[in-house]
Amino acid sequence: MKKNKSLLWLFALILVLSAFLAACGGDDSGSSSDDADKKEETETETEGTAEGEPQAGGTLVYGIDAPPEGLFSSAFYGIATDAEVIDLYDEPLIDYNENLEPIPNVASWETEDNKVFTFTFKEGVKWHNGEELTVNDWVFALETIANKDYDGPRYTNVQTIEGAEAFRNGEADTISGIEVVSDYEIKITFDQARVNNLTNLWVYALPESVMGDVPVAEMSGSEWVRSTPIGIGPFKIENIVAGESVELSKNEDYWNGDVNLDKIVVRVIDNSSVVGALQNGDVDMLSLQPVSGPEVEPLENVEIITYPGLSYYYVGFKLGKFDNDSQTIVEENPKYQDKQLRQAMMYALNRQEWVDAFFFGYANVVNAPVPSSHWNAADNSELNTYEYDPEKAKTLLDEAGYVDQNGDGFREDPNGDEFIVKFSHYATGNPTFESRAQAITQYFEEVGLQSELEMVEVNLYYDMIEKDDPAIETFFGGWGTGADPDPSGLWKADQLWNYPRYNNPEADKLLDDALDIEVVGTDQAKRAELYIEWQKILNEDLPMLYIAELEEIVALNNRVGGVEYDVSGQNNPAEWFVTE
Amino acid sequence: MLKYTIKRLLGTIPMLILISIVVFSLAKLMPGDSLSGEIDPLNTNPEYIEEMREKLGYNEPLPVQYFNWITGFVQGDFGKSTKYKTDVFDIIMEKVPNTLLLGVISLIITYILAFAMGMYSGRRPYTIGDNAIAGINYIMLAIPSFVAAVVAIYFFSFHLNWFPFGGSVDILIEKGSFEYYLSKLHHVLLPALVLGAMGTASYTQFLRNDIIENSRKDFVRTARAKGTPIRKIYNVHILRNSIIPLVTFLGFDFAALIGGAIITESIFTYPGIGMLFLDSVTSRDYPTLMALTMLLSFLTLAGNLIADLLYGVVDPRIRLD
Repeated sequence: MKKNKSLLWLFALILVLSAFLAACGGDDSGSSSDDADKKEETETETEGTAEGEPQAGGTLVYGIDAPPEGLFSSAFYGIATDAEVIDLYDEPLIDYNENLEPIPNVASWETEDNKVFTFTFKEGVKWHNGEELTVNDWVFALETIANKDYDGPRYTNVQTIEGAEAFRNGEADTISGIEVVSDYEIKITFDQARVNNLTNLWVYALPESVMGDVPVAEMSGSEWVRSTPIGIGPFKIENIVAGESVELSKNEDYWNGDVNLDKIVVRVIDNSSVVGALQNGDVDMLSLQPVSGPEVEPLENVEIITYPGLSYYYVGFKLGKFDNDSQTIVEENPKYQDKQLRQAMMYALNRQEWVDAFFFGYANVVNAPVPSSHWNAADNSELNTYEYDPEKAKTLLDEAGYVDQNGDGFREDPNGDEFIVKFSHYATGNPTFESRAQAITQYFEEVGLQSELEMVEVNLYYDMIEKDDPAIETFFGGWGTGADPDPSGLWKADQLWNYPRYNNPEADKLLDDALDIEVVGTDQAKRAELYIEWQKILNEDLPMLYIAELEEIVALNNRVGGVEYDVSGQNNPAEWFVTE
Repeated sequence: MLKYTIKRLLGTIPMLILISIVVFSLAKLMPGDSLSGEIDPLNTNPEYIEEMREKLGYNEPLPVQYFNWITGFVQGDFGKSTKYKTDVFDIIMEKVPNTLLLGVISLIITYILAFAMGMYSGRRPYTIGDNAIAGINYIMLAIPSFVAAVVAIYFFSFHLNWFPFGGSVDILIEKGSFEYYLSKLHHVLLPALVLGAMGTASYTQFLRNDIIENSRKDFVRTARAKGTPIRKIYNVHILRNSIIPLVTFLGFDFAALIGGAIITESIFTYPGIGMLFLDSVTSRDYPTLMALTMLLSFLTLAGNLIADLLYGVVDPRIRLD
């Protein structure tokens, strides 16, 4: 009996082994057909047909660099990869052009006073389940977001509608500022006239026909968000394999022209595989990290496209302490109050060299906290560009009284006490972060400012910055801005996210004026003037050392055509095509 | 044996309570919370973050938070993931099949390789072959799995085109068809190979040492004197005795099957428990994180119990009373 048992074991092992080998054999044939596909591709690539006429049909593989969370709904998503998928199957009612100005998409609008807006929807736009899109779907979206059970982050885009607050607190059954005129016309009244009411408004609809019965608290976990979402875009979701891929197919009833591609497959690709996957043609289209750029550039079958991004990096100073209850800056930190010191530190940074070394040329030096593609960005000719000039930095430091008094090679502060620049940078798994932070401290040391670097775990990092932890004195950070270029939320003295605790009533006044319809009316040029004035002050004051704005980088296989980018993002995926 | 089992099972209860306290404290000791990653003026504002902290109960005193969590937990309510905004249980169940497949196949690979190498080494100790096997084993053990994974992808996927470089299945294949399962197997083989081949050292060396030890025992001498062929002595008499200590590993393997391989799964973008675990740590998704840790602790305890019981089965000399 015992002997039989061990024999049984052996047999089982042999069986498994043979199954394993058989599987290997099967795989070989599978991958050889893959090879054939690849050869075909390279042949067409040499012809360069992707530049030619759009072709119908074909499958495009779209890479994303992190697993989606699976919240495939405009109202509920939280991370960028989910948003990338949403962009393929859903559309906003109002879009943005290359100057980040709103343009009509499904809806067009009229307003006289920037308080009451009348929106008109196109007729005949259909959801993927065949139901027609009406203004009620939009009302449904707005009321979902304003519901107290809503667990997504978008309420800020609804709360300016008159009566939204009352609806949220349960004091009203509807939002009083929303008036449905007909299925295709709707009037929205805001709580007050603002110049940016429209850009701030939530402009995605939700399909009431399918989600209407789902309680708001359960929506984000429902099938209409996680496994079978529908939208109004050029592609519809066919199949989702959680955490790794999404299959989309052509929407035959798309309202806005013909769709070229038959299918788009969205696939998660780990950063370590990006170059190989592009080279082998396993992925056609992918956003790149700057660090992969130099490796992808030499590939013959792949083209790199860059377009301006809307984020910037900076080195901030903690100039004060914020009290979140009273929403005021309650204390001033004396260490970096001297403007000359901050300017000297700016001159000491060789930002171009740093950007080239750590962003491989996919970033541009900035001199004010507004990305240059915004219409209200100040031109460099109006700003001090702080060209790298260590001598000037030294002179400024000498003038400000920061001189080496004890002969240790480093400067002391004007009182003769030891002066150490404490610089903090967040730490993730990325090994380049420490070296790029180290490089910044070296620039400071070169002009005689002793510097100390502390790498802080990223989750703790922003917590410490937000709470004005005394351990944080100067810090590396980055901000992304949206379509609305108003920087108030990051800069006014009463804002929690004004991390440097910059407190300048004059600058705050400019920001307020630029939003005040009484001052600027609807004149964009007049607004821009105020914002430029504000940037000049910040360029002079330097509550943070502005470093660089990033470029967005996309790698495209040569067989892909019809893809265009501007600062507002990609063009309509309906226009994309592949040459087989 | 029944008495023993019940005794052991009862013993795990205080252990699990202790573990739950440790797990909870460690999770809460990690800097930041699930909302510190959401600071982004594009998407949200400080009021929303404050409100969500209140809603999720992060502002309650820690003992209250622990109590809320554990009462739900023992009733089978693992909570709602803060990252995926859906039930933790559903998310875990979604990933378990992938991880199980990967775990089983890699374990089979480990067993096959380890048995082959261990038996060879044990039979011919201190020869060049034995030393070479030991060398290879320890080199494999020393190579970090992310290096091995990246090299394997580069060589087998991009260079030779034998295996896909990531994912768990080709989405274009119709679900449920024969090709679908073949595609799953095709996708799992490379990560399983990396995992399986890297983990052979302990098995191989354990088996080798045991075979050497057993080969000097009296029963082997008797068998030889009887004229039993050497082959048979090694493959039957010695091997059967040498497998017994390996049962110890089985307990750990049991938890590892479900626990997945954190790094390897991430590099292969193979959506399993390991990848989910890593994600939940980095995004401070406490409910998922704590549920997974508890699950793995429980499985390790259970695995050890099973291993201990199996001792009694495979080796009648051991009595569990």
